[in-house]
Amino acid sequence: MVDLLGPGGNLEMVRKVFEAGADSVYVGVKGWSRRSKKYELEDKEIIEAAKIAHDFDGELRAALNAFPKPAEFEMFKEKMEFLHSAEVDAVILNDLGLMRYVKENYPDFKIVASIGCNVINYEEAKLYKEAGASMLVADCKLTLEEIREIKERAGIGIEILIHANTDFTYLGKCWMSSYKSLKYEKIGEKSYYIGSPNRGGVCFRPCLSNWCLNNHAFGNLPNDMFLLLREIPDLIEAGVDCLKIQGREYSTELIYEIVKFYREVIEAIESNNVIFEEWERKLAEIAKRRDAERLRRTLELMGVARGEKIEI
Amino acid sequence: MELTTNVPNLESMSECSLKHYDAIYMGMPYCWDYEGSFSSGNDIEEGVELLRELGKKAYLSLYAAPRNKDLERVFYVVELGLDAKVDAFEVFNLGVAKKIKDEYDARVHLGGLANVYTTSTAELLYSLGIDRIMPAYELPIEDIEKIKEVGVEVEVVIHGKIPLGISHECFVRRFEEEVGKRCPKLCKEKLWFKSEDLVLKPFGQVTLSGKDVCMYEHLEKLNFVDAARIEALSERVGYREEVGRIYRKRIEKGFDKKDFLKLIELAEIGLCNGFYFNKAGQIYVSR
Repeated sequence: MVDLLGPGGNLEMVRKVFEAGADSVYVGVKGWSRRSKKYELEDKEIIEAAKIAHDFDGELRAALNAFPKPAEFEMFKEKMEFLHSAEVDAVILNDLGLMRYVKENYPDFKIVASIGCNVINYEEAKLYKEAGASMLVADCKLTLEEIREIKERAGIGIEILIHANTDFTYLGKCWMSSYKSLKYEKIGEKSYYIGSPNRGGVCFRPCLSNWCLNNHAFGNLPNDMFLLLREIPDLIEAGVDCLKIQGREYSTELIYEIVKFYREVIEAIESNNVIFEEWERKLAEIAKRRDAERLRRTLELMGVARGEKIEI
Repeated sequence: MELTTNVPNLESMSECSLKHYDAIYMGMPYCWDYEGSFSSGNDIEEGVELLRELGKKAYLSLYAAPRNKDLERVFYVVELGLDAKVDAFEVFNLGVAKKIKDEYDARVHLGGLANVYTTSTAELLYSLGIDRIMPAYELPIEDIEKIKEVGVEVEVVIHGKIPLGISHECFVRRFEEEVGKRCPKLCKEKLWFKSEDLVLKPFGQVTLSGKDVCMYEHLEKLNFVDAARIEALSERVGYREEVGRIYRKRIEKGFDKKDFLKLIELAEIGLCNGFYFNKAGQIYVSR
């Protein structure tokens, strides 16, 4: 049976996502994940989130998928020790070397290769598996056939985003935001690169500005909403292990609705009782609310890139 | 310090444009369809022969974003490179790099798009036999120094436009009608993406910085690296030669204000330092 994974941008969201029917929840470790610190959890909240997850017989995954500075390796080791003692079930990592460290020192941790690893072929998937990953998050641009081949040839679990955005570039391979307005700060002793998705999690979304090619105005660079529905039966049939809903930055109410929606879709598919036209109408309503929240967030981020003082 | 540059195809190789360099990366790795690209398997033997005559090392750049369907073609190009006795392969995909080490035991230089950010990954890759790493473009100098401490050779870009993103498609192909040119002539045109304070340069599947990263004033801060790259793949005739001349003189004789002014003149959109100083990539810091 395929797992449904939802986001935990705060403790309330963690609980609501499980109530909505998720099998597991991922949270960001403060200062260490590919999102703003506003949507990451402090250590004491992670302890609480793990308890909530286990109360629901679910799994808590901790994301440390922003690349740390080389000098922060000792801090990473301390953080892993803490996550292990907090009984977190899995870690989401971006860095091959850190995966190897976790595999060698915490063999009971499940390791997920983050979408930021940008694994786009089976040779790369084999390498991540050797380094310790038992699952990888597939890039949204891969076809079902490619995903099937990666799973078969590398023998690795596959996680698919069913709610996300497809970016202009391959995920993890874009530095436009940090080229435009990178800001360097610290959270305690930990470096925090605001504007670098790879290093600090925040992207100022310059691709969504108005662009010209020479004198031809064409609007934004491609960055589209990605909500799968009709594809889900084929994904399940292809042996995909986990369906992931992104969205730590959205409201808890909206995320609850999205997770509940997909749980019901999965149950309907599994009982061969799915009429897609009805589900599409419901999804269109959710998409409208989701777009409105995303637009607000995009305007905030663009404002900060221009120097406005907004807490992001 | 080895001074390197890159050329997309045989047509771009001339003695005078390469004379200031020690080693040349052959090929345009950001698109299969670039005319005559070595990375797509064209003229590799002829290119290597020419470089041998000039006394240069020949490195072959491989296609940067191979999906499953591309792997067979990538390894075919590897075999062409081995037949031509290239000195190393520049590889951007970690899976391809590992397979080349395992199956061919050839010399591998990891390119900047391979996203090596940490010493832990550099150690792992070094243990797999990777010979040289260009750390992620986003790293500041202090992080690159740490990667060098691992023992692996390190190469960095000291001048030119750096990739700011790689996509699954060549986005400007959607604008063939507006530009009035079709692929493969399209990317010979002077094309710029512009928005607010950002100017970027599309080039095949990558988007390059509009500004030229320039470390001319700060070169001593990078003295610890093994190789220094002039990125010139997307540049017009004369750029590779002139910038190479200036940096060769800089390495051997030191700073010259006139040469620095020439670099300013050559940079159509201006200069920046990339990410070497923990600042936004498009900022330039004077010494």
